[in-house]
Amino acid sequence: MRYLQTDLSSKCSSYTMINLKINSKEISVPEGTTILDAAKLLGVDIPTMCYLDGNTNHPSCMVCVVKDNHSGMLYPSCAMPVGQGMDIETDSAEVIDARREALELLLSDHVGDCEAPCRVACPAFMDIPLMNRLIAKGDFLSALKVVKEEIALPGILGYICSAPCEKVCRRKQVDSPVSICMLKRFAAVHNTENESPYFPQKELPTGKSVAIIGAGPAGLSCAFHLLKLGHSVTVFDSHSEAGGSLLNLLESELPKTSLSDEIKLIKHFGAEFKLEQNVTPEVFKVEIKPKYDATVFAVGEIDKSSSFDFGFKTNEKGIAVRDDFKVNDSIFACGSAIRPLKMAVKAVAQGKETAYAVNRFLDGKSVDIRYDRFNSRFGLLQEAEISEYLKEAENKGEEVNPKVGKLAGFTADEAIAEAKRCMHCDCRKPNTCKLRNYADDYKVDRKKYAMGTRSTLKKYLQHNEVVYEPEKCIRCGLCIEIATRQKEKIGLTYIGRGFDVRVQIPFNLELSEALTEVAMECANACPTGAIAAK
Amino acid sequence: MENDIFKIVDGIVERTGGTVDAVIPILQEIQNHYNYLPQEALERVCQTTDITPSRIYGISTFYTQFRHKPVGKHMVKVCVGTACHVKGATLVYDSFKRSLNIPDNDDTDAEGLFTVEKVACLGCCTIAPVVQIDSLTYGYVTSETVPEVISDFLASSNGQSNGTVPFVDSKEFQGEIRIGLGSCCVASGSFGVKEQLEKTLVKSRINVNVKHVGCVGICNQVPMLEVHKPNEALVYYTKIKPDEVREVIHRHFRPSSPLTRLRNSIYGVFDNLVFDSVPKSIKRYSSESVNTPVAEFLKGQINIATEHRGILKPSDIDEYMSLGGFTALEECLKRKSPLEVIDTIKESGLRGRGGAGFPTGTKWKLVANAESDTKYIICNGDEGDPGAFMDRMLLESYPFRVIEGIIIGAYAVGANEGLFYIRAEYPLALERIREALKTCESKNLLGNNILGSNFSFKLKIFEGAGAFVCGEETALIASVEGKRGYPTMRPPYPAKKGLRGKPTLINNVETYSQVSWIIRNGAEAFHSIGTKQSKGTKVFALAGKVNRGGLIEVPMGITIRRIVEEIGGGIPNGKRFKAVQIGGPSGGCIPASMADTPIDFHSLVEVGAMMGSGGLIVLDETDCMVDIARYFLTFTQDQSCGRCTFCRVGTKRMLDILDKITSGKGTHEDLDMLENLAHSTKKGSICGLGKSAPNPVLTTLKYFREEYEAHINGNCPTGKCKEMISYDITDECIGCTKCAQRCPVDAIEAKPYEIHSIDLEKCIKCDICKQICPVNAVVTR
Repeated sequence: MRYLQTDLSSKCSSYTMINLKINSKEISVPEGTTILDAAKLLGVDIPTMCYLDGNTNHPSCMVCVVKDNHSGMLYPSCAMPVGQGMDIETDSAEVIDARREALELLLSDHVGDCEAPCRVACPAFMDIPLMNRLIAKGDFLSALKVVKEEIALPGILGYICSAPCEKVCRRKQVDSPVSICMLKRFAAVHNTENESPYFPQKELPTGKSVAIIGAGPAGLSCAFHLLKLGHSVTVFDSHSEAGGSLLNLLESELPKTSLSDEIKLIKHFGAEFKLEQNVTPEVFKVEIKPKYDATVFAVGEIDKSSSFDFGFKTNEKGIAVRDDFKVNDSIFACGSAIRPLKMAVKAVAQGKETAYAVNRFLDGKSVDIRYDRFNSRFGLLQEAEISEYLKEAENKGEEVNPKVGKLAGFTADEAIAEAKRCMHCDCRKPNTCKLRNYADDYKVDRKKYAMGTRSTLKKYLQHNEVVYEPEKCIRCGLCIEIATRQKEKIGLTYIGRGFDVRVQIPFNLELSEALTEVAMECANACPTGAIAAK
Repeated sequence: MENDIFKIVDGIVERTGGTVDAVIPILQEIQNHYNYLPQEALERVCQTTDITPSRIYGISTFYTQFRHKPVGKHMVKVCVGTACHVKGATLVYDSFKRSLNIPDNDDTDAEGLFTVEKVACLGCCTIAPVVQIDSLTYGYVTSETVPEVISDFLASSNGQSNGTVPFVDSKEFQGEIRIGLGSCCVASGSFGVKEQLEKTLVKSRINVNVKHVGCVGICNQVPMLEVHKPNEALVYYTKIKPDEVREVIHRHFRPSSPLTRLRNSIYGVFDNLVFDSVPKSIKRYSSESVNTPVAEFLKGQINIATEHRGILKPSDIDEYMSLGGFTALEECLKRKSPLEVIDTIKESGLRGRGGAGFPTGTKWKLVANAESDTKYIICNGDEGDPGAFMDRMLLESYPFRVIEGIIIGAYAVGANEGLFYIRAEYPLALERIREALKTCESKNLLGNNILGSNFSFKLKIFEGAGAFVCGEETALIASVEGKRGYPTMRPPYPAKKGLRGKPTLINNVETYSQVSWIIRNGAEAFHSIGTKQSKGTKVFALAGKVNRGGLIEVPMGITIRRIVEEIGGGIPNGKRFKAVQIGGPSGGCIPASMADTPIDFHSLVEVGAMMGSGGLIVLDETDCMVDIARYFLTFTQDQSCGRCTFCRVGTKRMLDILDKITSGKGTHEDLDMLENLAHSTKKGSICGLGKSAPNPVLTTLKYFREEYEAHINGNCPTGKCKEMISYDITDECIGCTKCAQRCPVDAIEAKPYEIHSIDLEKCIKCDICKQICPVNAVVTR
């Protein structure tokens, strides 16, 4: 039996001790202690959203729900005081289901994008809004760093990418999409024209070596990321120049200098190129397999008629791979070699992901990138919402056309102006939002309760520190309470009742009048992206 | 202009005390004055009190009573309570908006003359559908008669009749005529009958006492006159019209002087010649063939809360006392200790009548045992169930009995301050209680040293501002404290920590109204009525598809069948009895096959329903059970306070699914999701509203699943779900063109003597053609 230390005594006025069980462990705590606090003492963590220490607790979100086997009831652990003889379960299947249900219900009423539609559409998951914001600020180097996280060959893709991002850009509903592709190209070109171009920091040398067969977009991208991870890389290609299928493009599609500049960067980054080397099964067996710790086949679309017999399986699409691009043993494959690709950006993305898979294989370590995080999404903007979103764009004008022509691209001023057309569709709290994090943990079905018509969203931007988006709010009331406690003259309030309850500003005043002192405190307390720092 | 508002608001603030917890009364007074809440008024309140903008907006948008936009000159309130709903209230509402040309997203007409709104329950269920325009109530309104109602209202508000002052010499009464004047009675035209009665008596110089009694409960027979003459049997005249009054009087009474008699008969002749045509009555009466409806209705009832029904004049304290009123209080104060009083209540087996059925004696004991120098007692008169009007009746007709019960309770638990929480939608109840409180104070029944004892007790009124959730005790307390009506976690229970953190006893109106009888007749007498688990009697509001609706008080243990078939007289129009809905939106539907279930707290829970506060709606074969579930869920969803996820979002999603199903777009997966969500919402909600909101859905799924399945397969068997039916004219059509004339959207072409047809593209399914067709040639498919 564990006994409570007196640090909880400030919360309870009684000295009667209550005995209960949590997850079959017995504990004795003073009367008035909440189940949540009692569980903490046992090292049991219960997820909460609307609970914040120091605030009066009004259970709302129900994510902290637990079950009492004694009564058979579900309780919000953040507010329910312990009772004699309670037998609490915090993580049984029933409780997990109830938590998931609460999250799914909350999400059905949550209108917002965790990641912007452009990023979601990008096969390489590039953080486009962040790139835009950095270019808009004139910080081209940082913008390029963001690009290079996910895309190894921006100087090439900046010309030939089919830009699925632009097709879903919300700015399209206002006038025309942000010219994301050209902005990326600008950042890349700006870098290559630099005397000392940017190279990302490499990990410590691992002493492992990887052979990449094929110097096309998939192979080049794979090389870049493997080098970054500290491995040594040799790229084999049967042609006299690197580039693979990119070599077939016209000058008007991809200037030859752009292609060679980009390849030079890869070389300078540390890739060894062995060109005019045709890797046959014999060559592979003798020259490559024994000398390298891993091999990546990025050979492009394979000829299924002739004998492609390296000793592993193929199917009707190409080389057969698992989900992690592994063929067998130490052999991986990506790009058109596993399935003919029409978009170069997909090859580049696969090259990256294969590099991570190879890295895992070589070092046993996983790179901490998750492309499959939960994402709240909604469809097109409604008519009334277009002007709301436009509030976020500094440049409310039409798309900028490069004076020197599309092939030459933007000047710096033009790039800045175009980048300012971005409407900041991504949420400002993609990593700290509890709703997103728990949605990940509990593997929710985002669309389960998406019924009826969704609410129309608004953005309150009239404040120099924070942004308020009411349709991301879960009505926990923490911001209202903080404002009241700190005696804000206007503060925030609940309007309405039931499903229509919203947190709004009394007398319809501006956000800057409502939160004069406590804006950042509210932003930090807010469990979702509803109130966030600008 | 601005100064005017300031003056008025400042006056209000001063009158109410201007403290933070007075915010609701302040808003109510502002609303009474301006008919809405002008922003300048709210600003002024914030300037002159500690009430913050955050609080004033939070409160004024939570409670239904408050409006932020001006209203039209006249308020049209369309009742959408359960009984009205099953008789077509939605069609009536649509018809009003159409007739007044009010667009979809607005509630006031262009000239600012009428504002139309839906209200949860006017409490006149037996004359459903009910509409209230300002202070006039109309019953039996249909979508077809709406234009008549409007013109009748405008006519009456232009040429009001003056009330005649009856001349009554009480020394020489020949007898007494009693007329019930509860809200329903008034709505059925009893006022008109009463006026005619008094006018005729004065004109004919007949000396008869006209006694206004409280609710008689036989709502289906009103207006009703009871004629009492010494040495003669009591005679009832039911469903009486003003022009029949003269006949009734003359049948029993004659003026004392022969000259007057002669004069009367001469004038009578002239009267018949020049008498105005009977004012067109808006109501439709169905012909009944039951012999003695009154006797059948009253048989089987036991009057405890409604003791002396039909006899007592509500505001007459002397009469109440002469029939034993306040002797129970005296007994307690003078000869019983608080503990003894509690023991009596405990032994009687009385359980809360508000719905939950918690043992009253136990609750009183808990509060009595709580240690505090201040304790409160509250009477919960926030009767919010649509279709229930028991508490309204008790407050209007037996105010002293309720007050007596409260004072006894206060004495038993040691409370010196009490609150009467009454819905603002019950103006007559508020008036009667206010009057009664003043009367009690003047008679030393309230205030210091009651009846010469050491016990002092004050009782005040708090007007609910319109939120069903405030019937939940912790939400009620929150609203009294000037907050939004959010329930709080229990424990702590109000018995330990209630109003302002002090121990508080909260009981329902009906519970208190049974206390006096128990004290006077002893715990054993009460205990001997009812079943093992449920003692005593319960008041029910019987309404819906039943011949004799009204307020009944029956012993626990009586079966549903007896209530519906014997007391209620069965189902009208030859339709089949299908189910009863007991317990309002928290309750459940019990199919007719289980009509032998006794009324008992536990037996009802066993079949999936619950006792509730007393609403008992009878449903027949023409009622769609899916529509009923959707109706109740619409109500609870609208009334959810919005605090906890499962109730706020869960009930909304359940409603979305039901909307899908009732519009013919539902799938089997939807049905499974609905059921699972219903269970989750029950488990995951914090308060009784959320926990019981899924009950109608769950019980209808349990007992009428085939109806849900039918909807999923594209068919509404009863033809009630508008979106799944279409109107059609059969070959029975005689070409009278009535439907074409009345169709509000010209969907029927007038072709005299030819069979008419409906243009389905234009049809808005208002049901008028079906109602008006003289040969029933309009059907729904």
